[in-house]
Amino acid sequence: MKRWGAKLAIVCLSVLALTALDSQKSSAKVEGDCEVCHAIYPGMMDEPAPRKDPRYALKNAVCVNCHSFAGNETVKILGGVRVPVVFNTDLPVSPLAGGNFYHVSRVFGDRKGHNVEGISAADQGFGGAPPGYERTKDPSMVGFNSTKPLACSGSNGCHGNRDIEDPFRAVLGTHHAEDLPLDGSTTAKSFRYLRITEKEKGILGLEDADWGRNESSVKHNEYTSSMNALCANCHGDFHGPARTGIVSPWFRHPTDVVLPKTGEYAAYNPASPPSPERPGIRIYNPDAPVGRAEVPGAVSDAVKPGEDIVLCLSCHRAHGSPYAASLRWDYDSIFTGGNGKGGCLICHTGKGGR
Amino acid sequence: MTAGIIMNISSPRFERRRRIAVFLSLLGISAFFLGLLIIPSPVDARVQGRCKDCHSMHSSKEGSAETYGGLSGPFPVLTEGGCLGCHGQNPSGGQNIVPVGLARAPQVIHNQKNGDLAAGNFYYVADAFTGDHSKGHNVMGISRQENPPMDTPPGFVGSVLIPGGTGPTRWPENKQLSCAGTWGCHGNRTIEDPYKAMAGAHHADDSVIDGMTVGTSYRYLLGVKGREHQNWEYLATIDDHNGYKGDPTHSSMDTISYLCGQCHVKFHASRELGGGGSVGTVYTGLWTRHPSDISFSTVHGGYAGSEYERYITYSLEAPVAYVNPTGNEKSVGAESILMCLSCHRAHGSPHADILRWDYASMVVGAGVPKTGCLTCHTKKGDHF
Repeated sequence: MKRWGAKLAIVCLSVLALTALDSQKSSAKVEGDCEVCHAIYPGMMDEPAPRKDPRYALKNAVCVNCHSFAGNETVKILGGVRVPVVFNTDLPVSPLAGGNFYHVSRVFGDRKGHNVEGISAADQGFGGAPPGYERTKDPSMVGFNSTKPLACSGSNGCHGNRDIEDPFRAVLGTHHAEDLPLDGSTTAKSFRYLRITEKEKGILGLEDADWGRNESSVKHNEYTSSMNALCANCHGDFHGPARTGIVSPWFRHPTDVVLPKTGEYAAYNPASPPSPERPGIRIYNPDAPVGRAEVPGAVSDAVKPGEDIVLCLSCHRAHGSPYAASLRWDYDSIFTGGNGKGGCLICHTGKGGR
Repeated sequence: MTAGIIMNISSPRFERRRRIAVFLSLLGISAFFLGLLIIPSPVDARVQGRCKDCHSMHSSKEGSAETYGGLSGPFPVLTEGGCLGCHGQNPSGGQNIVPVGLARAPQVIHNQKNGDLAAGNFYYVADAFTGDHSKGHNVMGISRQENPPMDTPPGFVGSVLIPGGTGPTRWPENKQLSCAGTWGCHGNRTIEDPYKAMAGAHHADDSVIDGMTVGTSYRYLLGVKGREHQNWEYLATIDDHNGYKGDPTHSSMDTISYLCGQCHVKFHASRELGGGGSVGTVYTGLWTRHPSDISFSTVHGGYAGSEYERYITYSLEAPVAYVNPTGNEKSVGAESILMCLSCHRAHGSPHADILRWDYASMVVGAGVPKTGCLTCHTKKGDHF
């Protein structure tokens, strides 16, 4: 135990030293007191064998344990470090960009989020398999195993290296690794640690410093097409021309396509018309975000029909939402031909009110 | 105090107040009904309702594909079964108009007794039921393609002028009739894909039927004008029915008969369709084919004294068209226009040649007056 304590102290001191040298860098690299994260829960760590490193006793629960909060706050402080909360025990007041697993955690319904192990049981309707899963479209060398639960990371999850089955190993070291520049070259340098696989470049984008908390048209994540590719790892049938179509008429709702600059799409987000000085520009609506063809230099409130991209996340939250299918809005309340607005009608402007 | 407000009901003062009250009541009621007349009623066919009532974003239901009949999705335009998934929801069922959320979907194939809509019912031609291909258009998904020569539209001529462009140069042998598009009736016939041909139509504001777009055309038949009965003529009456557009001058493409003539070219006398020589013309001699899109006033020999003069009251069995239809016409006269749909249904009927009546039972001199052919040909119904 003494040896383990000494090792932990050395690591912590090193981290603190590095922090002092590089305190201005805008990085998500975790810094601070080790025990805050690594020994906060009783029984979290196994007693290490002689001359062996300490090991987590509850590897499968560690993600959920750290990123959960018994309350409704969605950013919590652990040892001075801000931690994004993906699972609240109470209705979250300001959910993050990925949504919140709160909605899928109890009796609210399987369809309101991804049924991640440690939060909710496997979706009974889907039998454990992601809807639209196509093995040939999953670049993971392991592939999704429908006999095992959905995990935060690894081959049965979204984060980390999906070539690795063990969710813990798939993100091992990421929180302490250099995470800039965000070029997708490593898990740590991938948008939100979404690495895909060893051979593939990780997800690219701009990470909002508050994980999308209280997002607005000028403060939000910036997504790219690569985000769609990640979703397609498991929902392959819903992505790509084989089952979706190449052009209109679509057979499934298209994703990863350019938001048209003609027709109803040219009036994207009609509730917030841009000023006349910005021709061809529409105002970004975080209720129906678009992606960019390239990672932008900075967050922008401008949406350019004809350039920007329809995303899976234009409609869905990644973790969970109050709505069926983990949608960003209540699909049951989206009406065409009436006085409806919002939701689908942010893009499908011609199908809203007269 | 109470006694002070009690009024003698037989007093002149009470009577005056009673009359004022009655007057004001009548005025209010009149204003209400006048308001109903002035304010346009929202009877347009623009679809209203939840997106999910008609569309499935990923064709995924509980992880399995959407299905319609024996077909498995995904279906075009994210629909739940394509055209028939909505308009043929239960072919053997007894419901001709199905509520879909806030909208109502007319069923083109169903088994409701006495429930056929204006265009008839594909039930009579469906392979799943009668399979009698003479009783309707053989639309893909309902009936198999007919054998030659009926695998192409009778009277077809290529490259005729149609709204938006030119019709197909030829009708390929293996090309089966579809609901919409180049090989169908609805939508923009210059576009081959049925769904692209109908793009946006169900969501268009069609409160004014001007034929300018698919959405604002009569029954989404591009270019056609008319008045749409709000129940697709279910329980229509002689003064509340579809209003069909006709043009006896044959100078426009906005008539229902011109639409038929786009495929059955030789059966329509329009110059644009080139059928004049085949059908004959009213002023120059005998008809060689039954005319269409002509008014009774132009019949050979004149309207006065003709048998058509005795077709007086609008008949739902043998309807006529008008130059400016309202759908409320109750009278038939010299300017009423004979059209293809005077005799035929568009989709299917219980009778051969998709006729509105049994042609075999039409007997001159012994038939039932004012029925079938004898609705117009009144003298031929006379019992000699």
